[in-house]
Amino acid sequence: MTTGLTLYDWTPDVRCYAVRLGLSLMGVAYDTRAADMDLPTFQRPAGLRPGERPPVLVAGNVRITRPGTIMQFAARQPAVARAWLDPAHEWAILDWLDFGTVALDMLAAARDLAFGATLPVLPPMGALVAALRRMEDHMSARAMAGHDWFAAPAASIADVLPFVVFALSADLEVERDTCPALRRWAHRMRGLPGFVVMPGVPDYA
Amino acid sequence: MERWQPVSVLSNIRRGEVAGVRIGGHEVVLWREDAQAATLHAWEDRCPHRGMRLSFGFVRDDALGCLYHGWQFGGAARCRLIPAHPRVRVPASINVRAYTVREHAGLAWVSMEGAEDFPHQQAGWPEHAQPVRTVHVHASVGQVRHAVGIAPDGGMAWHGPVGLAVHEPVAGQAMLHVVRVADGPSALGLSHWAERLRDAVEGGAQMAPVMAELAAGIAA
Repeated sequence: MTTGLTLYDWTPDVRCYAVRLGLSLMGVAYDTRAADMDLPTFQRPAGLRPGERPPVLVAGNVRITRPGTIMQFAARQPAVARAWLDPAHEWAILDWLDFGTVALDMLAAARDLAFGATLPVLPPMGALVAALRRMEDHMSARAMAGHDWFAAPAASIADVLPFVVFALSADLEVERDTCPALRRWAHRMRGLPGFVVMPGVPDYA
Repeated sequence: MERWQPVSVLSNIRRGEVAGVRIGGHEVVLWREDAQAATLHAWEDRCPHRGMRLSFGFVRDDALGCLYHGWQFGGAARCRLIPAHPRVRVPASINVRAYTVREHAGLAWVSMEGAEDFPHQQAGWPEHAQPVRTVHVHASVGQVRHAVGIAPDGGMAWHGPVGLAVHEPVAGQAMLHVVRVADGPSALGLSHWAERLRDAVEGGAQMAPVMAELAAGIAA
């Protein structure tokens, strides 16, 4: 029994978590190949090509390595609800998806610096803090206009990557009280069917 | 005199919600009951069991539950249930440190000294202020208070229909709380104004032009 989709996945990686979260929220089934990037090359799954890092999504001869592109690929599957890439709000969704992709890269780099050290260190946070502030200003304005989500009337792929950035920035000592609008939106994200966690993202709150 | 700290706009702490705030480096959990009365509470943000932040917890049946082991604390800040030992009558000595809290002028006010009198009640501020937004500013409380015209012993500054208050989450940072009266400027317009104010304070810009926008009236 195979789903036709294979995800090369590294559990503690924030980009991989973003992909798992998005696929789970959209109800897309896939097979997992665990790839521990801390192990020597010869102990990694054979299907992972030299130089590739998880996440890698393989569907037939399609091979996607960028979380934002994987979100689009999943949202365009026939069985997935159209709201995840609502045609009426497509440009706003894609714009925030791209923003989220860049912010997620910044989070991943900052976490690698912080956790890759012998002693915990706090990396330069300017760009990540600026991204979180833009998200907070945006969601404050959205809330005042009566909207619950980043780019459309319902949750979309625009919400997934920013959620991971906000949730795991706690590891980098970004205090929750500096982002009240994001806290309230993140709480709604947790209530979505298919929501999943990773270490560092509590089940509640 | 006990200090009352304005810690949040009320729209950020609705029924059944939990929010962590910091006051001068002290972690405080705000939470609101989920039943009809929906009383607001402000406690030390620390579970007496294992020290977990209660602001990561959840509100169920008018109690705040700790995320870690599910210990539940009722409105009186006493532990009422330990899920791992459901038959145990929980000793009264297991409780969370509670602070006094008031809801006034669209804001939650906390006294960490447990003050019972609330002098701001008599300040003559508009009765039905509506919350707009709380904005984080990377500048000292002194700078922000000076910029928006809050007197050293005053809790708020009112500029016509717009009310402003500030508290210090931790030294060198400030939270600016914005409220308005119903027929004042739009919430969205004020929110963008607060962003301009924040950017001006952080950038060391002249404050007069930003504050003049308030006097001139803010468009949506």
